[in-house]
Amino acid sequence: MKDIYLARTTHSPEVDFRFSEHTLTLTGEAYPENANEFFHPLLMGLESYLNSVDSRDIEFNFRLTYFNSAATKMIYSMFELLNESACTSNRVILNWYYDEEDDTILEFGDGIHDDFNALDYRPMAVDPAMA
Amino acid sequence: MQLDLFSVFRNTADFNGVLFYYNGSLSQNVIATMGDALKQRLDSQDTNGPKSRRLFSSFIEMVQNALHYSPDAPDSAGEKVGAIAVGKRDDKYFIVCGNLVEQQHVERIRQKIEPLRSMTVDEIKKAYREQLKNEHHSEEDGVSKGAGLGFLTLARDASEPIEYSLTPVDGHESELAYFYLKATV
Repeated sequence: MKDIYLARTTHSPEVDFRFSEHTLTLTGEAYPENANEFFHPLLMGLESYLNSVDSRDIEFNFRLTYFNSAATKMIYSMFELLNESACTSNRVILNWYYDEEDDTILEFGDGIHDDFNALDYRPMAVDPAMA
Repeated sequence: MQLDLFSVFRNTADFNGVLFYYNGSLSQNVIATMGDALKQRLDSQDTNGPKSRRLFSSFIEMVQNALHYSPDAPDSAGEKVGAIAVGKRDDKYFIVCGNLVEQQHVERIRQKIEPLRSMTVDEIKKAYREQLKNEHHSEEDGVSKGAGLGFLTLARDASEPIEYSLTPVDGHESELAYFYLKATV
């Protein structure tokens, strides 16, 4: 299973999916022109990775500070896949980094936690001055 | 344009609190550049983090909406055009966006926006969560290219009901309408 690395751009996040280390990280902002095109390969990669592992501790670090409405749906689908895996074969830790001054990201994370409760959701406040 | 007219234009914009205005061709690059300019402007004005992020989010939803859904400008070689202004009145920011839409989509746009205007913040958040979970969106809405969350995101981030108007375009009444959208953050 090949790792996926994409450098950050103005409108797309840094993607660091180290399948080999079972650590997946998204950092930055996501408002690509075509969210389906950007996220589709990531979802495919994630799905085949999840199908190839069993009884693993998988860590997902969510460090996005902004995502547009089209990206939101894709991100939601990503957690849907992780949740299915957490229900059947793996343990998934979701480290959810949010700016403590900003409710939007935390509320979205809490929603993910409600909808996908097999994920081990760990909200982590980030001091905006330190970010 | 005569210089005195440009001065009137500039003064009118100033008087109405306009911080920046763009009118012309829309592309993802133009959006990214304007988005950067907007962020710098907000930083220099010391706008607090959450408000600045809500404003940026509204800005992106509006211009990407215009880019994705407006038909090509008449007599252009496949060009998408739009006008966008960001301004400040008292302690609130506003974004106004104007772009062409197809006349056949006018009712659909009205039906999407009108209910949001009378919803409370909690109702908007609930509707947003339901739409996020909706797996049948693409079958229900053949026109939408996204997840049906655009206007809901705008309404979620706004501090006042979103405003809009839809007007037929002179000379193209049966095909085109001009769509104006305003969000206040």
